[in-house]
Amino acid sequence: MRAELLLAGLVVWFVGAAIDLTLGASSRRVRPIPYLAGLLGSACVLAAAIQMVGGHPVNVDLGSLLGVGRTSLRLDGLAGLFLTLTSGLGIGISACMVTWVRQGPTAQGPTAQGPRVHGHGLGAGYMLLLGAVTVIIVAGDAFTFLFAWESLTVAFYVLSGVRRSSVGQARASWVTLCFSKSSGACLTFAFLLLAGNVGSFTIASWHAVPHGVLHAASYALIVAGFGAKVGLVPLQVWMPRGYPAATGPMRAAMAGLAVNVGFYGLWRMLGVLGSPPTWLIALVLLLGGLTALLGVVFAAVQSDLNRVIAFSSVENGGIIMVGYGVAMVGMALGQPSLLAVGLLAATLQAVAHAVAKSCLFVAVANVEADRGGSSFSEVVGAAHSHPWSSATLAAGALTLAGLPPTIGFVSEWFILEALMQQFRVHGLALRLSMAGGGALVALSAGVAALVFVRLLAFAVLGQPPPNGALPRRGDRGASGRTGLLLLGSGCLWLAAAAPWCIRYIAAGLGPIVPTAVVDQALKSPWVLQPVFGGFSILSPTWLFVVIPVGMVTVALAAVGLSRTRVLRVRRVPAWHSATAGVAGPDSYGAYAYANVLRHVLANVLGSRREVVVVKGGLPAEGIPGPTHVEYQATAVEPIEAYIYRPGRVVALWAARWARRLQSGRLDAYIAYMLVALVALLAAVVALG
Amino acid sequence: MSLAPTTRLEGSALAGVIGQAVRSGAARLAGLFAFPIGDQIFLRAVLAWPDRMEVIEAALPPGARSYPAVTAQVPAASWYEREIHDLVGIEPLGHPELDPLVLPLHRPREAGEIRIPVTWEEVELDDRALAVRARGEGLLTIPYGPVRSGVYEAIEYLLETPGEDIPHVRTRVYHKHRGIQARFEGLSIEDGVLLGERVEGVASVAHALAFCQAVEQLAQVVLPAPAALVRLLHAELERVANHLDSVVHHTEGAGQAVAYTRMTLHKERVLRLQAQLCGHRFARGVVVPGGVSGALRISPAQALGLLAQLEHGIRADANLLMATPSFLDRLRGTGVIKPALAAAHGALGPVGRASGSTEDARCTRPYGAYLDLLSLDLPASRDEGDALARQYVRLAEIGTSLGLARGALELLAGMDNAQFRVRVPKADGLALGWAEAPQGEILYLVEIEDGRVARAKPRSASFHNLALFPSAFGTDIFTDFVFIEASFGLSVAGAST
Amino acid sequence: MPWITRGLSEGVVTTRYPARPDDYGELWRGAVSLVEQRRGPAVPDQVESDGTSSAADLAALCPTGAIGTTKARLHLDRGRCILCGRCVEARPDLFRFDPSPEVASIHRQGLVLGADVQEDEGALAQVRAELARRTRGLRRSVHIRHVDVGSDGSDEWEVKALGNPVYDIHRLGIFFTASPRHADILLATGVGSAGMVGPLRRTYESMPDPKVVIAAGTDATSGGLVHRTYATSGGIGDLLPVDVWVPGSPPSPFSLLHGILLALGLVTERGRSGNPEGGRAL
Repeated sequence: MRAELLLAGLVVWFVGAAIDLTLGASSRRVRPIPYLAGLLGSACVLAAAIQMVGGHPVNVDLGSLLGVGRTSLRLDGLAGLFLTLTSGLGIGISACMVTWVRQGPTAQGPTAQGPRVHGHGLGAGYMLLLGAVTVIIVAGDAFTFLFAWESLTVAFYVLSGVRRSSVGQARASWVTLCFSKSSGACLTFAFLLLAGNVGSFTIASWHAVPHGVLHAASYALIVAGFGAKVGLVPLQVWMPRGYPAATGPMRAAMAGLAVNVGFYGLWRMLGVLGSPPTWLIALVLLLGGLTALLGVVFAAVQSDLNRVIAFSSVENGGIIMVGYGVAMVGMALGQPSLLAVGLLAATLQAVAHAVAKSCLFVAVANVEADRGGSSFSEVVGAAHSHPWSSATLAAGALTLAGLPPTIGFVSEWFILEALMQQFRVHGLALRLSMAGGGALVALSAGVAALVFVRLLAFAVLGQPPPNGALPRRGDRGASGRTGLLLLGSGCLWLAAAAPWCIRYIAAGLGPIVPTAVVDQALKSPWVLQPVFGGFSILSPTWLFVVIPVGMVTVALAAVGLSRTRVLRVRRVPAWHSATAGVAGPDSYGAYAYANVLRHVLANVLGSRREVVVVKGGLPAEGIPGPTHVEYQATAVEPIEAYIYRPGRVVALWAARWARRLQSGRLDAYIAYMLVALVALLAAVVALG
Repeated sequence: MSLAPTTRLEGSALAGVIGQAVRSGAARLAGLFAFPIGDQIFLRAVLAWPDRMEVIEAALPPGARSYPAVTAQVPAASWYEREIHDLVGIEPLGHPELDPLVLPLHRPREAGEIRIPVTWEEVELDDRALAVRARGEGLLTIPYGPVRSGVYEAIEYLLETPGEDIPHVRTRVYHKHRGIQARFEGLSIEDGVLLGERVEGVASVAHALAFCQAVEQLAQVVLPAPAALVRLLHAELERVANHLDSVVHHTEGAGQAVAYTRMTLHKERVLRLQAQLCGHRFARGVVVPGGVSGALRISPAQALGLLAQLEHGIRADANLLMATPSFLDRLRGTGVIKPALAAAHGALGPVGRASGSTEDARCTRPYGAYLDLLSLDLPASRDEGDALARQYVRLAEIGTSLGLARGALELLAGMDNAQFRVRVPKADGLALGWAEAPQGEILYLVEIEDGRVARAKPRSASFHNLALFPSAFGTDIFTDFVFIEASFGLSVAGAST
Repeated sequence: MPWITRGLSEGVVTTRYPARPDDYGELWRGAVSLVEQRRGPAVPDQVESDGTSSAADLAALCPTGAIGTTKARLHLDRGRCILCGRCVEARPDLFRFDPSPEVASIHRQGLVLGADVQEDEGALAQVRAELARRTRGLRRSVHIRHVDVGSDGSDEWEVKALGNPVYDIHRLGIFFTASPRHADILLATGVGSAGMVGPLRRTYESMPDPKVVIAAGTDATSGGLVHRTYATSGGIGDLLPVDVWVPGSPPSPFSLLHGILLALGLVTERGRSGNPEGGRAL
């Protein structure tokens, strides 16, 4: 039944893609069809996924369907777990998309010409993304996996390159493509090494690979390959470009939904390859921590909401990798409880991130479409015009800030608790790395609170621009509202239902760690503990009772004790300055709020400031003569400036040199192929 | 003390003469004022040479409404010319920025009208939102004042900021403008002293001194020694109180609660000592033309006892404060005025002396009892130019001032049946008086006609130094603002007159 | 740590005022009084043969016009007096310094000594009752917003001195506040300069009702010596409805405290309401 449901989903998506490619966005009626197909297909896959988590693993033999030998699908708990997540999000995002594409242009903004979506490709790209993600997760062999992986690369390229209106966007989609291709190359190489060693392309068979140089090398390649997808430093630079370049809610599909295949791959390989080398664990823990910190620091100083959210993806990738690092420690030391707590924490964080990230991107896309841009100065005070989107945005922001009562609080609690178990680990290197990773994660959690306070305070609750009636179309449509509600409420009910979620995750993680061990995270039906008993406890469900009751009690006490005097307020107009004020902006905006951080972290951000006195006024901007002051501030992304830019110089030099080989003579090319073949054979022999 | 030599020249030549004198490096521009007399405007500039003060008078042709700006050659003239532009209505041609400074008011002038306004009805309140001057991502303008947190004089700072940094500061002082220059006209000399005491209330003695010394200079009066000593005593106590006030603001800003209360206590005791000596906490009414109003109300011996107690307390607390790292860290490197800038502007008082200047009117151009009691510790000078240097200069000066006051009391104790006042004969003319107030050198350009004040223009050090205030913001951030303001230690009343 | 011992080194230095009189306040000139308080001394219109000066001569003594005569009786307006002491020096038989700092009044005419004030006792009682009604809820905790409306700078020192350990108004539940929105009392100093007319009005409008205005200092009461230039009004009374007048140039901290407590109805005016001893807590 699950295989059939899965197949049904894939077929529906195929039909959706076909409709998009043939009819395209030709009419208002046809435009939503691919996304309705997305919704339907996701529902089918979700049903299959739930059965997969509950049931026994099943192998579906596809024979030589792809024409490259025997291929198969493996429908087990882990696949079910991740499919539940991706298809659940697929339903929400598709619902939002249905409304999104139905709406025409808004009165203002650069998107004023024509409908939001026109021509072919976007719907098909989305269908391809959904299909590729699903196939990756259920792939049972290297061929199927890599085939789907490369399809996902194509989907990313299409989605981030659909709006080729500016040079920046075209460039962004190229950067995305480059990193996706490199990630695919790493995985291909690793899979070839493993398959060559075992003699089988079936993924499950690789657990037989003996520990050694080859095991370690392929492990590292796999971490790098999947790390590029989830934004591990130094492979994160494509994210803040690629995500914002996509159209509207498609960003959510990329950042919230598709990113999970990276985590799935890591989880799966941990189960298959087993104990990783110590140096790799230390590297993952430290790089993860660094990723989290760099991501959040850059998120804090961005002026564009989409970039803030994209950088927060980098941060969350880092946090999840740290959790994964703890699981690696557990695996390496043979401590199932440690493995369980690390994996559980990382999975919960992945869930929280996926849901919250989808919320943020979808909500911002709705507001952006009406306001004509996604900078803080444009998306300000969205609560006044877009209550539905704003509520979703707020839920997502609170989740990623790790505040109760959201699922983000639960997951961050687990991550930090998992890192605190470092005293149970023997071996200085691992202990130090865990402590280092923990410190970095704690620091970035603090900065994350600032990031999302800024988002809430300005984008959601700020004073909206004063120019008359604000367009509010982005918030309309039953389908869109349902999608927002699904995603936004997910941040809350997942926390309220945390015990059930953990049981579900425990069942899903079965292929890696025994379900019974993970279930120890439940101290009692309502109370959670970090798998190890007697350490600390938390009951997110109870928080849902305590927080409202506490607030009501305090309010009642205030009213009662003051004998209702607290309700009698002396009201006066807002105090500003005793003068008539200034003609320009005179209160803190999002930029100024972040400037403190720009100062404190000047060394990390490489921020520079410069003040220039310029002759002449700027009457058009309301600055009278005879002089005015120009203030310029710049920031440098260290990874890009110090790794990629010098690297690009070397690469270009190498390319120029290599061009000499391009002689155009057939015999020369045959000679190159021969040399390459000999080199490959030599490498395989040497490693074998 | 001699009459300031006066040079007369054409209005168009003024900029060149001042420019040459200042560029030669020997003189600094100490003041530039406009006096409408009849239908003519007289510009009077004061140049301070190392050994003398020179008044340069330039008459504009009748009906002339502009002249070549001095600021174009000497930037230190900028605020003076803005003041002239606001008050009298003539335009310094080539001035880079003629925003309103001391007169808020968007004053509807009839064509060709050049004079100081006379009545309240003549000025129109300017209540428009102020244009911004800076551009950049995320920049906002914070109007700080004139009603701001705490008990402060009314002044408005416009901080143009992207948050935290303060790349550009503008100052508006006109909220307190009281038309002092016009008010002086026609007063009797005695009333002129009373008004002088109220120009900058926290430096009443120094203002009364500068005014009286101008008058006494014209009449060529020689003061009786006890009167000069009493004047010195009050002037130095006033300095101690003002410098303590600056320390109080520093400690308040740094959150040093105990140091703050201790310093406010010392300041209160200084004011009480003043009251015990003369009956007024700010020693008003003490300085009169020709001497002082009377003998001290308590015996010098008693006063010496109180002074010793005071000195003991202040010294102990100041030493402890300057050994408190959390306090010093807030001041070090904050609000730097580089010596070159201070010299070019002719920065006065502790602000100048913390940036390498060695000018102190008490020793550069000594007057009254300073001729006899001159201390070797003066002037206290440093050259770091930051808030900490200004704090060190002030603390050193508190010590010197208490020493000078002690010296004056000891001399007074030896004088019996002393004479405290001589008659000032009637003498007309133009005279320049000066005194070293706690904020720095004060100038009074006084013109007596027929035994009454025909025109008088006070120039407080606060006005001169406040022009330098925006330049103190280099890499400083919001939390440094309070220290920069406190370390300048200026009185807004003196700056906006 | 050394600061802790330093803070404790001198014991309590705080005044007991208003619970008990404070001798310290009498170190300095509180105000000028007429030798014959209730009704001013008789003054002849012309110069007498024995050398007694005329009304015009007496009026000319004062640089701010605080001395005048009505119906051949001398009167002195403390609201104009800047305590220069010229009259005391010239005519010690008519004028004397009064050391008491309790000079505030809830009535502008109340500052005029020697004037016949019997006729408006009824109106005065009404003013007092109305003020008491407004400040009833503020007696135990009151917040003050200070505004400088063109002072000479010394008034701010004296206002700020209220917070030092000697006066320590926090012990009486009196606080200075940053925002006018939190303020109950507007304490204005200065002559009422044109540049502050707008800011003063905005501050006043931003204060919630009930609110009280105190004009602190001779400058604020009448404009003092700077009275009426093109840039100054004749004190705060020209700009706002004033409830309490505190003369003094500048008003000493005790005078200010007396004015604030008077506004709150915690003390009485000196020499009024059957309490000739003046001041002190009710």
